[in-house]
Amino acid sequence: MVFKPESALILVGHGSTVNPDSSAPTLDHAEELIRRKVFGEVHCAFWKEEPSLRQVLHMLDKDDVYIVPNFISEGYFTRTVIPRELNLDGPLTSLNGRTLKYCDPVGNHDRMTELLSKRASEVSQGVPLKQSSLLIVGHGTNLNDNSAFAAKREVEKLRELDMFGEVFNVYMEEPPLVSEWADFTKFPNVIVVPFFIADGLHSYQDIPVLLGIEEDTGLAASQRDVFRKNPYRLRDRTLFYASAIGTEPSFVDVIIDQVAAFDSVAR
Amino acid sequence: MRSLPETIAGWVHDGFSLLGQIRITSRPGGSFELRHREDVAVHGLEEFHGPSAARDLSFFDEARNYRPLKTAPNLRRGWSLIVETPEDLRLALDHFYPAMTALWRSQLEASLSSVPLRDTLDRQTGMYAASKRLQDEEGLQLVASACNSKTGCMKRMLWPFTKTVELTGFSRLERSADVLTLDSGEKEIPLLCHEACNILVAACRETVKKRERAAAATV
Ligand code: SF4
Repeated sequence: MVFKPESALILVGHGSTVNPDSSAPTLDHAEELIRRKVFGEVHCAFWKEEPSLRQVLHMLDKDDVYIVPNFISEGYFTRTVIPRELNLDGPLTSLNGRTLKYCDPVGNHDRMTELLSKRASEVSQGVPLKQSSLLIVGHGTNLNDNSAFAAKREVEKLRELDMFGEVFNVYMEEPPLVSEWADFTKFPNVIVVPFFIADGLHSYQDIPVLLGIEEDTGLAASQRDVFRKNPYRLRDRTLFYASAIGTEPSFVDVIIDQVAAFDSVAR
Repeated sequence: MRSLPETIAGWVHDGFSLLGQIRITSRPGGSFELRHREDVAVHGLEEFHGPSAARDLSFFDEARNYRPLKTAPNLRRGWSLIVETPEDLRLALDHFYPAMTALWRSQLEASLSSVPLRDTLDRQTGMYAASKRLQDEEGLQLVASACNSKTGCMKRMLWPFTKTVELTGFSRLERSADVLTLDSGEKEIPLLCHEACNILVAACRETVKKRERAAAATV
């Protein structure tokens, strides 16, 4: 069990200047970590909100510091922005008397597969999973990050679990398209889980419209209501729609696991 | 060495009761009360408990608009927040004004170094790399409005525009870490900006893009 009262944890999120829900999961997970007293100190830092990556090191009292990116995959932010803004020079950095330990992003951990299957089972209200098609929604492959690669890896691993009738990757802007879900799924139940860190316009509005469970009113979607109206009955199927995987409370355990994983590698 | 929560509690006991738009009072038994400084004499405020409540109070203005910049002068009024310990006070203040007590501590310890805006822009990559093409003139104008303490942001800019060019249109106090003492004797912990925020960097990029789009349209 990880118990580090002499260490600090910095959880790094992307944040947003327009979407108040972007930083919510990062702040929620930090609150839970404080409540559990796993670390002596817990702080959040964001790229587009405050505390910023340029401010957060000033907040520390402890000298032994773990930095965990609350990101779905490796990519531009974890490889370029975070190291640059925090002056990191690799997994281990000594800076002004502190040791900064840069861990892997949360979404990279092996346990993500377990979290995705857990969320899919929970949202689907007890329907037989073997009679269900599971769709993992990812960002497209055209982005300069590895999130699409990570989403594909998770789908492979979910297939190996053999819990669901079938498992597919879907995307918003490239095939296989979210909007064509009914064409390539063959089971009576369809479960849709966005492989994103936070809920935002994509999960409240874009994906529901593409699935056909919300009208494109041009207005901000009814926010969390969209997740409360499960199941949806359309195109002769029963459809269950989950909120972004990063809002899953057990993400906290994976954050702690990433710290343990860092320590398990000799450096 | 005292921890940051203990340091903050010490400041409050020494009369530093104001931070941005918030007034902090220590209460018998060691707890603290926070409220909007304009609500000082208001009775019947809605009462909240614990640092988590500060999240919702700080995230939205009076009209429930999202406040991406917490040091904008539009904190909502009408509430009172009780926190029990210095740790919870630190957490609550970090929701209202992220990192601000920590930067003040660093300033007092002489470990806060400011970064000229030009250096911040020159470091950008990806979509923000365009901000490197900001011209001095348009940049100075942008900062004067975006960082204006009445309408934009209450922080004091400790950074210059470039190593040799100073900002224009700000008072000496607005560019310093000096402590402001009110007639009542209450002291204000200054909100410090030692390096331009992402919102300003994004605005610099937008200024460049707008100029370049306009130029392209006239060719
Ligand atoms: S650059 Fe600093 S002073 Fe200007 S708006 Fe951002 S935080 Fe405020």
